Amino acid sequence: MITYEMPLLLRLMTRPELVSTLKRTAGIIFDQGGIIRRLDSLGTKDLPYRISSHGAVHRRASQFIIEFVVPPSSIKILKDEFERDIDVVRSRIYKVEELTPVECTLHEEILPPAYRKDVQEMVELAKKKFKPKFKNNTGLSYYPFQK
Amino acid sequence: MSALMPAISKTGNILKSFMNLRASLQVARVRPFTSSIKENSSRYDDLKKESDPDMPLEDIKNPFEKEKIKCILCEHNIRVDYKNVRLLSQFVSRYTGRIYGRHITRLCKAQQERVEKEIWKAQQAGLMGGYTRDLAYANDPQLFNPDQPIRPHRF
Repeated sequence: MITYEMPLLLRLMTRPELVSTLKRTAGIIFDQGGIIRRLDSLGTKDLPYRISSHGAVHRRASQFIIEFVVPPSSIKILKDEFERDIDVVRSRIYKVEELTPVECTLHEEILPPAYRKDVQEMVELAKKKFKPKFKNNTGLSYYPFQK
Repeated sequence: MSALMPAISKTGNILKSFMNLRASLQVARVRPFTSSIKENSSRYDDLKKESDPDMPLEDIKNPFEKEKIKCILCEHNIRVDYKNVRLLSQFVSRYTGRIYGRHITRLCKAQQERVEKEIWKAQQAGLMGGYTRDLAYANDPQLFNPDQPIRPHRF
């Protein structure tokens, strides 16, 4: 099963309303056979930009982040459910990526261009593109006749 | 003329046999000589190494090799995440709201790609503005100097 993360923006509501909305969203996930791993509240904040949803313009919203596990086939259903929910200003579902240690390649990237691998590859590619030049086969480095 | 012919052929035969003998002698002389040199040289080197510890070592790393430079995120082992808007907004210009390029941020390719991806995710989720930087984060310390890019740019 894949772990997903959902930043959820809810419209400004009273506390009991907010609780019922969260319970509803949780219920939708449970209905799909999912498990909620984590539910964080980031508080009620000003939005970075105005968001209009369901016929209203929102400038403030309560932010939540829900981490859950559901079968991938039900993601489409969840998206549709939250899109149609009037209290949800915006919701996105992102996959939680596993930590994979990446080796830093900066020391190779800041080398002078001639020593960089990608540049060397580019130069070779450019060489391949050149058309073959006509050879005089005179054994001379210059053209012996008048041009 | 017919009387002379056998005499010439005789001398020719003698010459041939002489040349063959010379060739065989040469071979016999050269072979052991070369092989003995090879054997002696390797043994000589071994003896030299054993007896003289001051001789230069052959298989040694370049002692003058510079330390590998790491980008700021790899160095401190920081994982950028779309929820950490404050960190992400440090890679965004406070004037134009645009993401700084690799020539300014001095990140490695993988990290720069990741930063751009996470910024896009945060913007889509409504956590971070596009083409704006939150005023609360406007005076955060600079991780890099955009006025001194490692390569010239068009801004």
